Amino acid sequence: MQYKAPLETYTGRIKEVIIGRGAIAVKIGGENILPLHYFEGTAVNRTVIALEVDDNSAAGWAGWVVEPFKDVVSDPIKWARRCMELGADLICLHMESTDPQGANRPAEEAAALVKEMLSKVDAPLIVYGCGDEKKDVEVLTRVAEACKGENLLLGPAVKENYEAIARAVSENGHCIIAQTPIDINLEKELNVKLLKQLPPQRIVIDPLSSALGYGMEYSFTIMERTKQIGVIHGDMAMQIPIIADLGGECWKTHYAKANGEQGILWEGITAMSLLLAGANILVLRHPDNCRMVKEAIEGKF
Amino acid sequence: MILIGENIHIISKVIGEAIRNRDAGPIQSLAKAQTEAGADYLDLNLGPARKDPEQAGGWLVETVQEVTDLPISLDTMNHVAMEAGLKICQKRPILNSASGKADSKAYMMPLAVKYNTSVIISVLTDQGCPPDVDSRVESIMDTIACAGGLGIKTEDIWVDPIILPVSADQKQVREALEFIKILPDLLPGVKSLIGLSNLSNGAPTPLRGVLNRTYMIMMEKYGLYSAIVDVLDPELMELNRGGLPEVRELIHKVMDGAHIDMAALSERECNYVKTARVLLGESLYSHAWLES
Repeated sequence: MQYKAPLETYTGRIKEVIIGRGAIAVKIGGENILPLHYFEGTAVNRTVIALEVDDNSAAGWAGWVVEPFKDVVSDPIKWARRCMELGADLICLHMESTDPQGANRPAEEAAALVKEMLSKVDAPLIVYGCGDEKKDVEVLTRVAEACKGENLLLGPAVKENYEAIARAVSENGHCIIAQTPIDINLEKELNVKLLKQLPPQRIVIDPLSSALGYGMEYSFTIMERTKQIGVIHGDMAMQIPIIADLGGECWKTHYAKANGEQGILWEGITAMSLLLAGANILVLRHPDNCRMVKEAIEGKF
Repeated sequence: MILIGENIHIISKVIGEAIRNRDAGPIQSLAKAQTEAGADYLDLNLGPARKDPEQAGGWLVETVQEVTDLPISLDTMNHVAMEAGLKICQKRPILNSASGKADSKAYMMPLAVKYNTSVIISVLTDQGCPPDVDSRVESIMDTIACAGGLGIKTEDIWVDPIILPVSADQKQVREALEFIKILPDLLPGVKSLIGLSNLSNGAPTPLRGVLNRTYMIMMEKYGLYSAIVDVLDPELMELNRGGLPEVRELIHKVMDGAHIDMAALSERECNYVKTARVLLGESLYSHAWLES
């Protein structure tokens, strides 16, 4: 008699979210299994890798991670094209230049850049504001309007500003990043509130991703529990894909700044860990890690 | 269920000031209000009473006894203030509280014998609050053995499993429930007590009541003997008198895992069902738990 391994089956399924439109669109989520448990059910979509582009010429980035892009860092369009050539599934544009504490670039200009990138780079786009809760409303609203119907993934929406950002996202046909500070209860609360304005197919959770040695295990636990609660316990408010925006966190550590090889490992190990925890999008900075993590996702080692 | 009024508490700004200034007015008016609301005991929480503990303990008990005949649950970790208060209680009081901490065994428990009081004994130890049912059991068995050795009678012991806020540690809420469920088998003859309102600490203020009331009914089903509560919550008092039978029945159904047709329920009933599911750990807590 042939041995048949016992399999767990679950009742919940993560919603599928589409980013971008037409032939280049990527799909994430849709799984009814725990992370990487391909043998238990259908993953539908595997985890995707976004490479990060900074609109502020990589100011403050460690030299090691600027190296592969050093000839294009002052041109976000060329930088984004390079990322796609290097194997990224999508682009994550961080609009650091809009920070009122820094260059304070106006929302209008930021929106123009995103629009230009859409027209010149064949890639689905994630756009992060600078993290200033007031300025982000302005910037993300203008971006949403200027790129109406393009199905961008926009954020971060936080508890102080989610209503306005969700309105702009809803009215202009985009998706939203729901960001909470590494707290499962606050994460659920924001999801519940956003679900009154948007369908779950338009939301992605950002629980904040800490780097190895700087609290990664907290991010890991939150992602792991989010999947368990959504997939095993069937909690609708948690059946939402996760984005792990970890590149910046890793490359700002002392260890990554001190030594390039160490930096690549730092980002790689953090990315692999959060992949295991259940992240559906990994945002990375270094192309070597893009390649390495993709191989892992495809089961090559 | 025996209900102990919680409202005379050092943490309240008004009461804290009144105690420090020896201003009887606000304290007596709260004592009267809780008496009229139907409390069985009044809890007087003095906190650590670092300044002039002897005088503070005596003054507070005397002040309250001037306006109410209710027995007192005297709540302070300062044994000097405790003794000063217990000494002049007119009705048999509750010593609130002793625990497995070394200091408590040495200074608090003997007062329960000396003044012939009931005594609340919590599962706390010098290591803090035990994290699950088994460690709560281990702690309480040890502490109760010590109380027995001192001559405290079983029926005078009110065991407190320590209720933690659901917003901080949802699992502990379930653990405390399980503890109360098994307590009669574990320690036949002892009474049980919880500090109910700590459950909803940190939750949005307008929503605290439904958490507290739901948990009270759940605990009651498992035989809880008494609770320190907000007796000024009329719906809680009505439930404790046996009112709102449909609410009690619904909460029991959730606990029994019965199917509930949410569409057939009123908003108030839905809220009780959702709350019971959160407190059982079936649904993840968030501050918006009633909205999903």
